[in-house]
Amino acid sequence: MVEPKSIWVSPSGIRRFVDPTSDNRLMKEIKDGRVERLAILFERYHIMLFNFFLRLTGNRSSSEDLVQDVFFRILKYRKTYLGQSKFSVWMYQIARNVHVDFLRKRKLEVPLDDQFEEPASSETPAVERLSAEIDASLLKRALDRLPLRKKEVLLLSRFQELKYREIAELLGCDIGSIKSTVHRAIKDLGRIYLELQGGESP
Amino acid sequence: MNCERMKDLLADYLAGELDEKTLAEAQGHLAGCAACRGELESLSAIWTKLGVLPKEQPSDALRSRFYDMLEAYKENLAKGGIAARPLHSISLWLSRLMPRRPAYQLALAFGLIIAGLGSGYFLNVRSRSNARFEVATLKQEVDEMRRTVAVSLLKQASPSERLMGVSWSSRIDQPGGEIITALLETLDHDSNVNVRLAAVDALYLFYGHREVKDGLVRSLAGQTSPLVQLALIDLLVGIRERRAAEALEGLIQDHKLNPKVKKRAELGLVQLS
Repeated sequence: MVEPKSIWVSPSGIRRFVDPTSDNRLMKEIKDGRVERLAILFERYHIMLFNFFLRLTGNRSSSEDLVQDVFFRILKYRKTYLGQSKFSVWMYQIARNVHVDFLRKRKLEVPLDDQFEEPASSETPAVERLSAEIDASLLKRALDRLPLRKKEVLLLSRFQELKYREIAELLGCDIGSIKSTVHRAIKDLGRIYLELQGGESP
Repeated sequence: MNCERMKDLLADYLAGELDEKTLAEAQGHLAGCAACRGELESLSAIWTKLGVLPKEQPSDALRSRFYDMLEAYKENLAKGGIAARPLHSISLWLSRLMPRRPAYQLALAFGLIIAGLGSGYFLNVRSRSNARFEVATLKQEVDEMRRTVAVSLLKQASPSERLMGVSWSSRIDQPGGEIITALLETLDHDSNVNVRLAAVDALYLFYGHREVKDGLVRSLAGQTSPLVQLALIDLLVGIRERRAAEALEGLIQDHKLNPKVKKRAELGLVQLS
């Protein structure tokens, strides 16, 4: 058993300003057979990935499954990582594929209405709650109503610490379309948010 | 800078990716353009709000599952590595076995071809006899099943089911004593003429068995239905069962016997003698 304790974890559990070349170095070691080094990448990225999937699927246990799947595929396809793009770009490419597979499978299994189980989207926030908490729950619901493409681009740019250039590389399109997608996504999100807010407190 | 250009920069502005020079230009435009200022304000309000979304924590299960997976993967890799090495040493060892001189190499090649053909033939013969054995076993099992079905059908109350039982029993290759007894029992005691007739036909298939012949001869005396009597006489004469002569003579003595049956019995006696 690899001991989780022996591994680098940032104090908050959140990655901040990690030298991207260190990711590449780790991947090289993993490719050379030291697969246990993947643990470091796991500790660096699993919470971000989990939140990415959670915002996309609205389901905690599915999101955990998807994170696990991403790291499994990193191991399986480690030889295909050539270090030309940033590791996190490659990783989010895998993450998107994992999500697409998940959507395909779910389409076969569950009708669309039953898919969102996250309680935040259904419960009414209590009046005495902190306004930040109400904000958060409204925002989550607003995010859920964005079309997948806009949502993805927005999540990648706002939460996954990727530059527009990198997102363009990841999605295989030009940087201009990413920027305008971000612009429109924020605009739509604001509109939906205001609508929801109007619905909450008339 | 115009509004068009400003729009293109909004996404970068939000992400803080503008260089100092462009940032200064953008701010210059914003100071003079209320429309762009309004747009940026509403956008950045939402952009900032997204920052309040709390980072959710996955359950501990995720971490332990990951380490389990990693551990299993490592073990697998290690196993693969060990397996690869002996393979290498085997090929080294084999290469040492190869004779140096071409003539010997040729001889070795021929020898291997002969050995290959021989073992192929041997295996083929063996697998064929194996297959034959398996088919035989399977047949035996099917027979066993048919026997069980037939016997249980023969005991049913409905004549049509008993008829089915008779037809099942005629599909058995190796009838045990059980089936023959059941068929003879049916022939002697079944209340339905059709079932008894079917039993005669079924028993014809098994006439090679001694107890079948005995049973048929015995049964002839006891039958009352002319149809069954005729069928039995036909059968006994057909298989040239000499012991039937006595039973036929007995029948002929019976005054109440159907004239047609009597005629057939007399003819049968002539045929048998």
